[in-house]
Amino acid sequence: MKSYFLNIFKSLRSILKGMLLTAKYAFTKKATIQYPFVKRELPTRTRGQLFCNIDDCIGCKLCAVACPVDCIYITANKKGPTEEINHTSEESGKKPRRFHLPQFDIDFTLCCWCGLCTDVCPTNCLYMTKNYEFSAEKRQQHIWQYGEGHKPGPKTEFNRPGDQLKLYVD
Amino acid sequence: MTETTLQTQELRINMGPQHPSTHGVLRVELVTDGEIVKRAIPHIGYLHRCFEKHAENIDYMGVMPFVDRMDYVASMNNDMGYAMAVEKLMQVEIPKRAEYIRVIMAELNRIASHLLAIGTFGLDVGTFTPFMWCFRDRELILDIFEMTSGARLLYNYLWIGGVWMDLTPGIEEKIKEFCDYFEPKIDEIDTILSYNSIFIHRTANVGIISLDTAISYGLTGPNLRGSGKKWDLRKDEPYSVYPELEFDIPVGSGEQGTVGDCWDRYIVRVREMRESLKIVRQALKQIPEGLFRAPIRKVRPPAGEAYTKVENPRGELGFYIVSDGSLKPYRVKAKSPCFTAISCLDEVSRNEMIADVVAIIGSFDIVLGEVDR
Repeated sequence: MKSYFLNIFKSLRSILKGMLLTAKYAFTKKATIQYPFVKRELPTRTRGQLFCNIDDCIGCKLCAVACPVDCIYITANKKGPTEEINHTSEESGKKPRRFHLPQFDIDFTLCCWCGLCTDVCPTNCLYMTKNYEFSAEKRQQHIWQYGEGHKPGPKTEFNRPGDQLKLYVD
Repeated sequence: MTETTLQTQELRINMGPQHPSTHGVLRVELVTDGEIVKRAIPHIGYLHRCFEKHAENIDYMGVMPFVDRMDYVASMNNDMGYAMAVEKLMQVEIPKRAEYIRVIMAELNRIASHLLAIGTFGLDVGTFTPFMWCFRDRELILDIFEMTSGARLLYNYLWIGGVWMDLTPGIEEKIKEFCDYFEPKIDEIDTILSYNSIFIHRTANVGIISLDTAISYGLTGPNLRGSGKKWDLRKDEPYSVYPELEFDIPVGSGEQGTVGDCWDRYIVRVREMRESLKIVRQALKQIPEGLFRAPIRKVRPPAGEAYTKVENPRGELGFYIVSDGSLKPYRVKAKSPCFTAISCLDEVSRNEMIADVVAIIGSFDIVLGEVDR
């Protein structure tokens, strides 16, 4: 009988202790950020959406090899002997670009944001941006194209000759 | 007369896979006699992602993102185990600075993981405020990780031969700031949860694992230490730079009930956070200048095999890798601490109440991603 009331007393005391502690937090700054209205500042190393600056790409396909989920599709056609070989920009080491790159597609439904492809890139033309808001309604809209002659963005034409997409497009 | 008319038969109840207290997709089949659990049979495999088979088809570096996804609340610790196994195969010495960065990250992640364990355990037994506080503090650790590795949950930061990039300039101050901020917060958790009389009544003397049972089932980590065994790989089989750092190993002593009950397992985690803070502070003081990654051109270990184990927040995580000298591993086997913990569930939860099974699962702190792999 005595322990019964003692238990009640102890429980009430610990509730009161907790309440006093939580009451303090009513007057402090809120920790929650209201996301769509307030956005966090992202650090410089944020691994967001991949971006490829195709003018600096030399078509070495190291990124496609390093990718553990094989979500990078590159078509590289060797330039003919008469065609002019231009070079990559100053920052990326002025490397000769010996390939035409009609296709440089990244499938963001597969991408796991591991960043392995950006580390192996010899010209640093493939890097991760801070963009994380690129939701889409259809699966196909998550395949982005960065190839020569295309505006970087979701792919619109599928199954062109030379495309090697894994995804079945209906 | 009433005895003959009353039907007493066992009832089978499915708890899960969408049960909130199972920390993922675990189905527990309960054989109950009234409110008393006679047997609890865990059914696993809902989160099976073929990690081991998958690892045979990708190169050594490419396995790393998948290792992250095993125990997704303690990715840094997982990475450390896998990276150490491959380094052992390749017989490379990694720079001292990289070792220190790894230890700092692993210990911070241990705090983050324990915060999640404590918070959800509190949530399981019916308190909500500590859960929010734990997540608020965990957020700060995730911010630190985001600044160094760029990701918030699946870091892929500890690479074979070192780490991905050096520490961000100014991150040391940030970590120190966090340590100073966080130490009083543990006291608050103690006040509101650990020594709360209702919480003690709910968890003490519940789900007792005797030392013999714990050892025979192969429990490791806080679950084993809660049963009173002082066994920690960081001290007993030291790896990395842990021998140079000073810390204690908290052990459950049956303060509020019996040795090896849910409260003991819980309090070991709370005390481990203080020890982790100690380690982080020391490591920040001792961190030398130098390379952050050993100059490895291609990860191509010679034929052979290697086994390493590391102390994860949940116990010993072991990686056994067989190499045939090619670019891809021939076989990768992961020994998961959560799997051994969940195998113990049946024995522990016999003759307990149904509501206590929830507390027992919470006190095991399992992550289903690691049970199923």
